[in-house]
Amino acid sequence: MEKEEIQKRYKELILPENKSPYHFQKQDGITPISAYNPMCGDKYQLYLKGQVQEAHFHGIGCAVSKASTSLLMKEIEGKTVDEVVKLCKDFLQAVASGTPSDRFSESLNLLIELKDFDGRLDCIRLSWKALLSHLENIK
Amino acid sequence: MDNPYRSDFPIFEKHPNLAYLDNAATTQKPRQVIEAITRFYEEENANIHRGLYDLSNEATSRYEGVREKVAQFIGAENANTIGFTKGTTESVNIVARSLIQPQLQSGDNIVTTIMEHHANFLPWQIICEENHAKLKVIGVDQSGDFALEELDSALNAQTKILALNHISNTLGTVNKVREITTLAHQKGIPVLLDAAQSAAYYDLNVKELQYDFLTFSAHKLFGPFGIGVLYVNDRFIDKIRPYNYGGGMIQEVTVEGSSFASFPKNLEAGTPNIEGVLGLGAAIDYISTFDKQEVQLHLSALTSYTIEKLSEIPEITVLGSPEKRSGIVSFTVEDIHAHDVASFLNKDDIAVRAGMHCTQPLLNHLEVPATVRASFSIYNTREEVDKLCKSLIELIEFWS
Repeated sequence: MEKEEIQKRYKELILPENKSPYHFQKQDGITPISAYNPMCGDKYQLYLKGQVQEAHFHGIGCAVSKASTSLLMKEIEGKTVDEVVKLCKDFLQAVASGTPSDRFSESLNLLIELKDFDGRLDCIRLSWKALLSHLENIK
Repeated sequence: MDNPYRSDFPIFEKHPNLAYLDNAATTQKPRQVIEAITRFYEEENANIHRGLYDLSNEATSRYEGVREKVAQFIGAENANTIGFTKGTTESVNIVARSLIQPQLQSGDNIVTTIMEHHANFLPWQIICEENHAKLKVIGVDQSGDFALEELDSALNAQTKILALNHISNTLGTVNKVREITTLAHQKGIPVLLDAAQSAAYYDLNVKELQYDFLTFSAHKLFGPFGIGVLYVNDRFIDKIRPYNYGGGMIQEVTVEGSSFASFPKNLEAGTPNIEGVLGLGAAIDYISTFDKQEVQLHLSALTSYTIEKLSEIPEITVLGSPEKRSGIVSFTVEDIHAHDVASFLNKDDIAVRAGMHCTQPLLNHLEVPATVRASFSIYNTREEVDKLCKSLIELIEFWS
């Protein structure tokens, strides 16, 4: 992906989400789901209230992982656990193949197209994979 | 770019605009090393030892010749003190598992430092946990220098080994190994020196400093991947037990029981990495063509220039200001995560490393989640530093 293209996507999506992430605050009384990449140190705590009435997150990571987690939080609020599982699966599959789809919001499609951004795939997938793994384990 | 070494490295013909600033991870390979490996496969290929024909005899002689060469390179008197391993990580693990752990008892301790690479931290932590011994970790001061004042009280009669790096792969700190080693030896404590970051540029001189163990990897000194060195001082060579078992490391094998060759043969079970050893030999030959003092001056000038230029950018914080720093500079950029920095630098053909550099205890101690690291070698230039700074300034402007 060319530099100008990367800059465009950062300007349009990554930087705004990174600077004002959605529901970026710790939640007392909720055991968080941990999304951690030991290779790079990115670490987020995902706080889900109800199934799923509210979603918050907190932690440290790069702009791409933070923006992706922020979008994840927005997407899952108001969905059932089964719907969240399906969304995570579909999204992860779409990211792996780099194929956008009209099933996804415009922002998610922008993320999916970032797949070819020099080894940043794990940054995009981090919280999605952690959430999916958690939800599948508790089923 | 006016640099006498650059043309020795074919990678820069393929990537003429590449500013390769990730030399602490691995150096590029000179033509001489690549050709030595190719020549082995094209003209000299045979397995070593016990092949009673010319090619095998010659391969054996070249392989063992590199052992002599390595001994000379680090100032060791005997080639039988040099073991070939997969690299620094394996070398440290061998000392930990084959020598220290069998004698490590509850109440004993091992001393290391907070600035170690995980390769020289985890093997000690694990054997301490397994044997109920204590791992003592010497800190760094505000500048990123080894906290020398902590050493004396940390080393005691129960200390089985002091393991430290010569140069920190994250901070670039050059440790005062002479002073540190002398203090440990005065108390009768053996010293393992991780020379991964220093072997290419510094004289190691094991004879004079009497390190007990010294480890390094070929790929950080212009050689190939997958091959490294474990030097063991004469006084310990009888105590290193086999690490892997198999062909080539035995004395006698019977159904009832077996006995083994002594160090270094007892470590080299199975067919060794012959191309790697020959590549290491060629790398040492290459290094011997340059003056190490001159190279240290080059690295030191580049590093000082980098710090000076980075310090002019208010959003950038350079980690540490050690008394003596090698060609490694870690820094952070305000509000921009190290991975985003590295990704954008990549778009301008600048290769740096971003993350924790396998030194999590150090970064936790410094309360930094990740850094960008620029590390230099003989072929780097001031123009590349200028390019790095220009790209960083552009990124900071873009981000705001």
